[in-house]
Amino acid sequence: MNPVVTGVGFITPIGNDRASVERSLREGLHGIERVEFLGNPDLPVKVAGTVKGFQVESPRWRDWAWPSGFDIPKDVVRGLAPHGVYAICAIEQALAQAGLRHAAVSGDPATGLYCASAGSAMLLHHNVALMRAARGARGNPLGVVSSISGTLNFNLGAHYGITGAVCGFVSACASSSHALGYAVDDIRLGRLTRAIVVGAEELNADSLLPFAHMRALSCQADPRLASRPFDVGRDGFVGAGGSVALIVETPASASARGAAALAEVSGWGQAADGYSIAASHPEGAGLRLAMERALADAALGPADIDYVSAHATSTPVGDAAEALAIERVFGARGLRPPVGATKGLTGHTLSVSGVMQAGFCVLSLEGGFMPGNPHLRAAAPECAGLELPRATAARAPRRILSNSSGFGGSNVCHVLSTPGTFPG
Amino acid sequence: MTPAPDSALPFPALAGFPAEVREAFQRFRKTGDIGSAETVVIAAAVDYRPASAGAAHSVTDATRLVEDMGYDSVAVAELVFFLEDVFEVTIGNEDVFAVRTMGDLRACVVRKLAGKTGPA
Repeated sequence: MNPVVTGVGFITPIGNDRASVERSLREGLHGIERVEFLGNPDLPVKVAGTVKGFQVESPRWRDWAWPSGFDIPKDVVRGLAPHGVYAICAIEQALAQAGLRHAAVSGDPATGLYCASAGSAMLLHHNVALMRAARGARGNPLGVVSSISGTLNFNLGAHYGITGAVCGFVSACASSSHALGYAVDDIRLGRLTRAIVVGAEELNADSLLPFAHMRALSCQADPRLASRPFDVGRDGFVGAGGSVALIVETPASASARGAAALAEVSGWGQAADGYSIAASHPEGAGLRLAMERALADAALGPADIDYVSAHATSTPVGDAAEALAIERVFGARGLRPPVGATKGLTGHTLSVSGVMQAGFCVLSLEGGFMPGNPHLRAAAPECAGLELPRATAARAPRRILSNSSGFGGSNVCHVLSTPGTFPG
Repeated sequence: MTPAPDSALPFPALAGFPAEVREAFQRFRKTGDIGSAETVVIAAAVDYRPASAGAAHSVTDATRLVEDMGYDSVAVAELVFFLEDVFEVTIGNEDVFAVRTMGDLRACVVRKLAGKTGPA
């Protein structure tokens, strides 16, 4: 049996709870704001997908604050990066929706934790600077566990007492998609009955500006124009922060607890481009194969897909490659499922991207809607073969294909379905 | 939101500590009063104590960091780093390994402060 999703938690630019996120997706409300980094108004980066309601800009945890209702003990905060705070807030929501208390997951050898994060460049730089100032004589003893890319696994595994499996994924913007895929495999293989899957990223100068130096970010100052996937005027992605967590488990585990199955993860697939350290294969070769493998894993064909949740980040090269890949999987068979790119609303949350889309898919399946592309003005010629509705459709999809791609040519796709929806 | 600690204090490292602790540190900086420094050491040891160890209890010189306060090796390293940072001293591994009780810790910091030249 395929695993089901029983809980979702959101800390995103478009909302910090399910209701807010769903409203934003239904009404096409974006979470992108004007920003200024390092006190430099001349930087070309003018907007970002900001997380609201948190104060985590300081490298000192004693300065941090988060929304009331989330209890994070002081000795837990000390080891976290700013995005670790987001992650705990997302996981708490997901556990609550799934009807799971900490005691149910702590020490349970059938529960695993699958994480995705790029680490905290800000804390890493801060801690290394402290060490250098002391000429190597001393440094923050929690500098490593709070800042390197395994920081989520280290901290969350200990905090939640995870004993089934604790692991982290570092395939850039496909990281949390890998986390979800491998969690699904471990559950299908009978190694575990339940997994917490979480991705988290912070948004600050250290996390974002290096992408500007790659010329990967939009230079638009208007939040409605900056992130517009598949548009002829797109000029790069808009950076964003946040965290999304899913509780994935066997249907038997969910029903034993009386937890509702919100969605089924029907299959996943991955393939690589073998082409560039950062740019997508120009014809989306790896992404196309990943989509086909995800469909095969779900025992579905392209005609069974009602909606495609695109990775599309609003970069000229990446969106064109994805459009071609989608065309070859669907268009070649005369199919034009609606394609929605939610990064138009959120910006690009990097390693969170895949699990964020999966979370949005759960809301779509549950709530009966399909997000559109509200910032799209004119589809680029190379993307014009896609069905790109502007507005959210109040129509229930039964099966969604969700794409993601990361630096180095990693491509991962998931198929999420309404529980109990069988092929045919 | 949870209230953000006041980091706009003269000593940001002590943001979040009670006012009397911050005042004690200010007094120590002005006068070199060792008793005031010891107040900060005790407050820091209580602050960095792992929450998983249960409810706090009164701390005396005989209180043992590991057995009585629930400290583990990571928490000890955090506490020592904090004290090094606040008092601008270096506490070596041999000093750390010799600390068993709050009295040992207090004496260790006092010894390091005595080794510094001039006011803190």
